[in-house]
Amino acid sequence: MTGYAKPLPEITDLTKPLWEASKRGELVIQKCKKCSHMQWYPRHSCVNCASREMEWIKVSGKGRVYSFTIARQVIGNSPEFQKDIPFVVAEIDLEEGVRLYSNVVGVNPDDVKIGMQVEVTFEECTPEISLPKFKPAKT
Amino acid sequence: MKDVVISGYSETPFSRARVDKGEPRLTAEEYYAWALELLLQNTGLEKKDLKGQGVGVIGSEWPHSEIWSAEVVQNLGLEPKFLVRADHGGANAAALLVQGAFAIHAGFVEHFLLIGADAPLSITAPGSRTWRYEEDYMKPFGTMGPNSMIAMVMRRYMHQHNAKPEHFGKISITQRQHASLNPNAYLKKPLTMEEYLNSRLISDPLRLLDICIWVNGGFALLLSRRDRAKEITDKPVSILGFGEWHNPEAENQLKDITTTGIKIAAEQAYKMAGKRPSDMKFFQPYDDYTVAVLMQLEEAGFCSKGEGGRFIEQTDISHRGDLPVNTSGGQLSAGQAGMAGGFLHIVEAVRQIRGEAGERQVKDANIGLVTALGGLAFGGTFIHNYAIILGGE
Repeated sequence: MTGYAKPLPEITDLTKPLWEASKRGELVIQKCKKCSHMQWYPRHSCVNCASREMEWIKVSGKGRVYSFTIARQVIGNSPEFQKDIPFVVAEIDLEEGVRLYSNVVGVNPDDVKIGMQVEVTFEECTPEISLPKFKPAKT
Repeated sequence: MKDVVISGYSETPFSRARVDKGEPRLTAEEYYAWALELLLQNTGLEKKDLKGQGVGVIGSEWPHSEIWSAEVVQNLGLEPKFLVRADHGGANAAALLVQGAFAIHAGFVEHFLLIGADAPLSITAPGSRTWRYEEDYMKPFGTMGPNSMIAMVMRRYMHQHNAKPEHFGKISITQRQHASLNPNAYLKKPLTMEEYLNSRLISDPLRLLDICIWVNGGFALLLSRRDRAKEITDKPVSILGFGEWHNPEAENQLKDITTTGIKIAAEQAYKMAGKRPSDMKFFQPYDDYTVAVLMQLEEAGFCSKGEGGRFIEQTDISHRGDLPVNTSGGQLSAGQAGMAGGFLHIVEAVRQIRGEAGERQVKDANIGLVTALGGLAFGGTFIHNYAIILGGE
């Protein structure tokens, strides 16, 4: 197996449950135990009430493309992305009300549209990390 | 300064991160969260009580933290009106205390949160590097720094407000025209719309000519008490008004990325100066990208939200026009001197007001608006938003 050479997230005490869930094919986000606020990206406290009591909840993995760009040139990231050009980097708004950056895959970049319904699909990068990506939702 | 008091404090337990002795090995980010939670518990305040107040953070042992104050407020969900960072080593807390006291004494804010944490013994611990949100939740998907983020802002703006590439093109072309009249500018060759439209797509829909150009360069400005300034110049430039806002809509996970915090900052500045947008003889908006200029034309009140494209189409934004915009050529053409880039707009405003702008001099330029933006937000636009109104005698 050839090594995966693109940047990968770091597994920390905070994010271990997230990456373990991704391995199982589940997308989880943070929810505040005190005020029930949900947030992404994962943090050490709640951006709504500052409580450090956060839990992970499983989400549907369904959402919409809020905006996107088609990468035409690699600047400021791993040259490994060169072989993927052109590819789509998007802001995905999940049904649960949080926004993630990810890729829209399984579709020609020119066919991606704002508002398009998408669902999560996991790309297995290493034995530890599977990245949540998004593909057009089945209708 | 008897009107300023210390009204609360917190302190976490300390650790040398000796996991073998059962000690916690936490990161600086975690100590920031802990210190804030404790302060709120000790004072009985809620986080929302600190909205629109002052915040001061300190540098960390991590040199990676170029935009650390933006990271801290974004991690914690703080939304301050006034935000400073100290990099004074052992004098960090004292430096923040003095700056916070000035801000309260001046009536700019009523509270000022000093928050400082560091974890020098956890530097090798997972998660201790700063800029985690970009490293973990952006770069693995192939984001290319600010270009990708702004390209998404641009796409969304075009979708939501019917803007066309030609609108962005006009900004790029007009600023280049100004740069051609600025001896210090780096890019001076005039541009055509055809050249703009044919410039290569870096991160679709973002073109090369939508992006500022990095240069090396330096600036300085001198502030003086009005009476002492008389010894230096007979053309003093007054700071008529200013406003700032950081991490707008801190709690909102689904922000409208076609907006910035300039609306709030500019409203403060206009109010302080007792002026309106129509009083401005020029506008020097922060221009890391063309779309930033378009959004700020709306938010600084020169046209209504979503009308930026039409406004650009119908308005002469050259130095001879109805609303001269970035008369130096801006960062798009004069150049962005790295982290000093935002000096350009203030220096140009001063030059215009003093009547020293040579061939690009705006007629009767006795008052104008400058803005500054900094720190791109995760799923949003800019963390730092400033508006400053400068005027002559």
